[in-house]
Amino acid sequence: MKIRRAAAGASIAALLPLAGTALAQTDPASDSNSDLRQEIEEQKQRLLVLERKLEIQQEAATAAAATAPRLTLNASRFQIGNTDNTNFIRFRGTLHADARTYGGESVPETADTFILRRVRPTLEGTFGGIYDFKFMPDFAGGRTSIVDAYAAARFHTAATVTVGKFKPPVGLERLQSSADIRFIERALPTNLVPNRDLGVQVSGDFAGGAFSYAVGYFNGVPDGQSSDNLATPDVEVDTAGDYAARLFFQPFTNSDNFNLRGLGFGIGTTWVDVDGTAANTALSAYRSPGQQSVFSYRANTATGTTPNNATFADGERLRLAPQFYYYRGSFGILGEYTTVEQDVSRAVGGVTRSDTLKNSAWQAQFSWFVTGEDEAFRGFTPGSTFRPGKDGSGAWEVVARYHELDIDDAAFEGGAASFANPLTAVSKASAYGVGVNWYPWNTVKLSLNYELTEFEGGAATGDRADEQALLSRFAINF
Amino acid sequence: MKQPHWQRRLLIALTTSVFVVGIGPVAQAAEVTLLNVSYDPTRELYTDFNKSFGEYWRKKTGDTVKINQSHGGSGRQARSVIDGLAADVVTLALAADIDAIATNGKLLPVNWEERLPDHSAPYTSTIVFLVRKGNPKNIRDWGDLVRPGIGVITPNPKTSGGARWNYLAAWAWAKKQPGGSDATAKEFVKKLFKNVPVLDTGARGSTTTFAQRGIGDVAISWENEAWLATQELGPDKFEIVIPTISILAEPSVAVVDKVVLRRGTRTVAEEYLKYLYTPEGQEIAARNYYRPRNAAVAAKHAELFPKLELVTIKDFGGWGKAQKEHFGDGGVFDQIYGQ
Repeated sequence: MKIRRAAAGASIAALLPLAGTALAQTDPASDSNSDLRQEIEEQKQRLLVLERKLEIQQEAATAAAATAPRLTLNASRFQIGNTDNTNFIRFRGTLHADARTYGGESVPETADTFILRRVRPTLEGTFGGIYDFKFMPDFAGGRTSIVDAYAAARFHTAATVTVGKFKPPVGLERLQSSADIRFIERALPTNLVPNRDLGVQVSGDFAGGAFSYAVGYFNGVPDGQSSDNLATPDVEVDTAGDYAARLFFQPFTNSDNFNLRGLGFGIGTTWVDVDGTAANTALSAYRSPGQQSVFSYRANTATGTTPNNATFADGERLRLAPQFYYYRGSFGILGEYTTVEQDVSRAVGGVTRSDTLKNSAWQAQFSWFVTGEDEAFRGFTPGSTFRPGKDGSGAWEVVARYHELDIDDAAFEGGAASFANPLTAVSKASAYGVGVNWYPWNTVKLSLNYELTEFEGGAATGDRADEQALLSRFAINF
Repeated sequence: MKQPHWQRRLLIALTTSVFVVGIGPVAQAAEVTLLNVSYDPTRELYTDFNKSFGEYWRKKTGDTVKINQSHGGSGRQARSVIDGLAADVVTLALAADIDAIATNGKLLPVNWEERLPDHSAPYTSTIVFLVRKGNPKNIRDWGDLVRPGIGVITPNPKTSGGARWNYLAAWAWAKKQPGGSDATAKEFVKKLFKNVPVLDTGARGSTTTFAQRGIGDVAISWENEAWLATQELGPDKFEIVIPTISILAEPSVAVVDKVVLRRGTRTVAEEYLKYLYTPEGQEIAARNYYRPRNAAVAAKHAELFPKLELVTIKDFGGWGKAQKEHFGDGGVFDQIYGQ
């Protein structure tokens, strides 16, 4: 249609000089001269009309494009929505394929394995520019679980209400997405904070993100656990829910001072008064950086069908997690200290022992983009992409960390009546980790980590042997 | 002592509810945004009005209100709102377009006209002719528009509210001629549209076609748009011709209930429209060549608004009937245009 109109316009334009020539050869006073003038005027009007119709057609096409659904398909985004992104649905995905191998004597050779750590197709979206949803199942490990399933209403930057299953606002590295964590496995403090849980949360930012808060009420999960790991998944299994809160400050985030812009610090906490039982202990085991179980409370050993001598949560549990990060150019530091004070009890031989145990963990983690990209808590884009035979190496990053887990000594007191068995459960773990990450593409990451962990206790002969874990990962995150 | 389990749940639910309900208005107090979805020629009117209302609202409440505008053909704008454009208020060319939002979109009650004075039409206008300086084609009344060789500029009644007023004014004139009937009016309007070389989607587009692109001999125009063209584009280029008969055009306004409820903007949206009826709002309307409802303001600007015989939409049985008969699918306009 456009071509036909343009051709018509061109034809008319071509006629105009001819008409003009004819006019020049005619007596100006004659009637035919007047007719020609009128004809030229009419042709001019027709040309203007054609041009205007074309203009209107183009305006209509532009207006239609502005309201037409927009499909975005690129290296990192698969999305359909409207042009201003107030309504969209996005498909995302996470695939983490790991290889784990261990040196030393603490881990049997049978533990060496390939493993699908995360297989998470994700659907998320926004409606009306206010209401968000996310649905993220996980098919890794030969089972299906719902990792995240929530709806959020962003009434204001200072008031977002989130309901469903998601991460309670506590541990710093736990709150960093699995695509953004710098090591293949999170550090020891993550053992002490909740993973995913069901509940309701109100959160928001003030002063352009300089101060953020989150408060929530959740079913409650034992240390490091997700609600889908509970005996009855994704429901309240004890008698009380957890109150959770987090305050976080980035006082210079909007400042012109680039030395301090990347500084953030805050504290997360949970509190609950929980009544566990020997059958449903509301306690959990802790894992090493190589994902081996290194600490657990005593389980039931009594004969009969009713568990009755396991250690169980029996009173208040208070988690405190001060935390910070600092990013400046291609360097980053992340640190957190986490404590859990947990009232526990254990009944042995008709006598019930109770105590308050205080377990703690901390980490300091360093990251550096050798290729110069900016470090950040969330997200990053490689300065170049790697294509065989062409320029560009992708992004290269080296990382290092030190982290510790310290179990309250009181857990091991009492001999056979102790809350934890000193012959199998470690009282302390100290880990040194180094690693390198290669991002050949902004959605692809290859990681290699080496982690040396030293233990105190946890073996019949004294200290559990050092764990030497070599972990590698091929990750796709989009 | 532990609280019973259900009490804890209730406490949390109540606390959360109170927090959300409480913080909502507080959070919005700092800066409120409204979207006013309007028709084509009101850009200048609402630029002035929004500034005045913003100052009024800040003085009254201490809050800042930012008003975003959207303009286009009135019918097309109504369609956009029905399709999801989150208009807090609509200020459209005619009541039928807001009726469509109420009935088809179910975004506000069907009795919306009763919520504000003057059936929610705070200012009026009428339809006049804009011709080139000196009126070289000697166009004096509607009958001149169907002469052979006269180029008439008017937008598409399917998308433009102003175009529907134009059409109905032409129909009314034809019917009032000796021997006039619906049949003669239909034939007249059919001839008129044969002289229309370009159908813009809105009134502002038609002004562009006529005044800036130099197409046609006469533009059938909103009175305010004609005044604007002569004042802004040059009094030495155009002049206004007042026909013997025209129509009382009543642009209508309404709060879009479902949007303001969702966004928490009902109060400010209602106040925004009420401000149109205040002396300040009426003065702004008059300054932008809309006929004010307020008698004192109208008297002050009487020289801008000549008296002429005006039919009203009631002469067509109301918008419901007129819309269906003339502009609905298969209606009179569909029958005559393109034949």
